[in-house]
Amino acid sequence: MLVMGEVHTGLLQSSGEIPESACRDVLHLMSGETVRLSRRPMIYAVSPDLLTGVDCRLPSASRSRIRGVGTVVSHSSITGGRVVQGSSYARVERAETDRRLAWSHYLARPGVIEVLGKAKSSDLGDGFIGDPQPNGLDLGSISARFMDVVQSSPLLDRRAPFKVARTKVRWVAQPGDPAIRFTLNADQTRTIRIAHSGDFTPAVVDLCEDLALHDWLLTTLLLIVERARIGGRAGPEVVAKLAPAVDHLLHLWMPAARVDEALVPYWHGLEDRMRFTAQWERLVRRIRDQLTLNDAAMLRSARHP
Amino acid sequence: MLIFAISGKGGTGRSVTSTNIVYRHALQGNDVCYLDFDFGSPTAGAIFSVGAVARGTRRHGLHEYLRGDCAEPHQVDVWSESDREGLRTRPPEAGRLVLLPGSEGGGELSGGNEDMVRRCVQLFSRLNEEFDLCMVDVSAGRSYTAELVLNATARLPSIPFRWLVFHRWTRQHIIAADGLVRGDDGLLDAGARLGHDPEALRDRIRFVRTAVLEPDAAELVGLRDEQRAWLFACDQELRELAGRHKVGRTAMLGKIPLDPILQWREQIISDEDVLASKIANAETASAFDELAKKIVDDTAWEGL
Ligand SMILES: Nc1ncnc2c1ncn2[C@@H]1O[C@H](COP(=O)(O)OP(=O)(O)OP(=O)(O)O)[C@@H](O)[C@H]1O
Ligand SMILES: [Mg+2]
Repeated sequence: MLVMGEVHTGLLQSSGEIPESACRDVLHLMSGETVRLSRRPMIYAVSPDLLTGVDCRLPSASRSRIRGVGTVVSHSSITGGRVVQGSSYARVERAETDRRLAWSHYLARPGVIEVLGKAKSSDLGDGFIGDPQPNGLDLGSISARFMDVVQSSPLLDRRAPFKVARTKVRWVAQPGDPAIRFTLNADQTRTIRIAHSGDFTPAVVDLCEDLALHDWLLTTLLLIVERARIGGRAGPEVVAKLAPAVDHLLHLWMPAARVDEALVPYWHGLEDRMRFTAQWERLVRRIRDQLTLNDAAMLRSARHP
Repeated sequence: MLIFAISGKGGTGRSVTSTNIVYRHALQGNDVCYLDFDFGSPTAGAIFSVGAVARGTRRHGLHEYLRGDCAEPHQVDVWSESDREGLRTRPPEAGRLVLLPGSEGGGELSGGNEDMVRRCVQLFSRLNEEFDLCMVDVSAGRSYTAELVLNATARLPSIPFRWLVFHRWTRQHIIAADGLVRGDDGLLDAGARLGHDPEALRDRIRFVRTAVLEPDAAELVGLRDEQRAWLFACDQELRELAGRHKVGRTAMLGKIPLDPILQWREQIISDEDVLASKIANAETASAFDELAKKIVDDTAWEGL
């Protein structure tokens, strides 16, 4: 019917970026199973998928009572030794019968939530993307917990270089003519709707996580530039406020680097409309200009004290 | 940084002072949040003039969150949701100012459980990711709430925290403030039982005097000589008492003068109240401003 997921993204609670081995150790603590790691184009470490059993009301735009039983798949990841994500998703499918079966049945289909009774896929999707009801399926709190496990690791010093809120991306994928829509809400939440041709594959999850990562980077860089109050205070103070961006963020922008080739056109489609990279580059130039100006001013005052 | 606001007695000015400190800290450019853990009487909404949560919130207050009835507590952005025009415009240099209200009609927390401690730990660590400073109004006296936060901070060794003990400048208040910290089952006792190092914990506690009327204050010029002499003698006695109870100058972080408008109404004192309408005293605003700096100034917190 459809797949729904939620990705939370935040700054790793450590003073500097952590090396590959530390990424592995932090994520290893979660399950004891092997951590998957790739080095190119950037160090990316991800915990094994873990399951959470659910038997709850599913989201519904029409506020119908729809019961779903099954499991949610989640994992945590660290990108560039600096950015943490907690990500969960479930495929929602019609059950064969209207009664609940033994857990062994659901465990045999990891990541599937079966709908007991009638439900329309569009009603479920709209309900999930819109205002979620309390006491229903809450992928957000599962993803938040998967982030917490990383953030509270005793291996981290918790002295992050700046404070920043986590962002939350809720997404829905349905079969259809390929299309993607990304919406920014007033708070820290964003939504993505994807229509994909053919069967759903976990590559769609990777795409959503990559979009969430870059949306967080952009949101955070905007915040740092805003906090720096360029033009509103002395140059060296502005530069001090901008420094964490240079030290910790600028090198992380690599859109679609981890995205399956077949899905890269979705990224391009969004870029054409949302101009993420153009905005990122403009901000980076602005930061670099401030650094250059400040260097020049320092040089001048050193020559003519 | 987590700051816990507590007092030996009720009605000391703990809520009014701690909210004003947080407000000043936001004006100084920091992202701050205020957690109303005074579950018996959540009044922070009223002080920030957010009418919708004046007596706590009906949906997802901290009380519900700690009991596990909701996944995330309600957050109020004071800069946009306050009913006071003066608070509704965020100055360009100011950071975020967020209130996490208690639950309306929630009642005191009575004996919690391991789950509640776990949720409190989770709350503090998530907020610490996002805010430079979190001020927690822990309510007056020994309480389960005080134990809860002592327990939570013992499990978060890498998140810095400090305690402010508010008291008025009277015999009873001085004795009560000392008792709350050093008495049987006081903060140090309870803290040690819950895994804190008592010496380290002691260094993280400072006292704040509220609603102080100095005997030489301008308000007192009309007094007779006999009255003034009596006040000076009384003040001297209190100083000695405070010294004996280790609540004296060295352990004091600051003091807030008595202000007529706070005596009449629990509110935030904005610069506009001082400069434009002139209803508040400049000394009060600058005392809040000063304290807002001192709570994060390490030199003010060096070992005693
Ligand atoms: N500096 C001050 N000058 C004059 N009045 C003050 C001052 N600070 C606080 N007050 C007043 O003292 C009273 C008690 O203050 P507040 O409600 O903040 O105390 P509290 O310790 O939080 O009380 P409770 O224990 O009931 O929560 C209020 O009416 C408040 O306006
Ligand atoms: Mg109070």
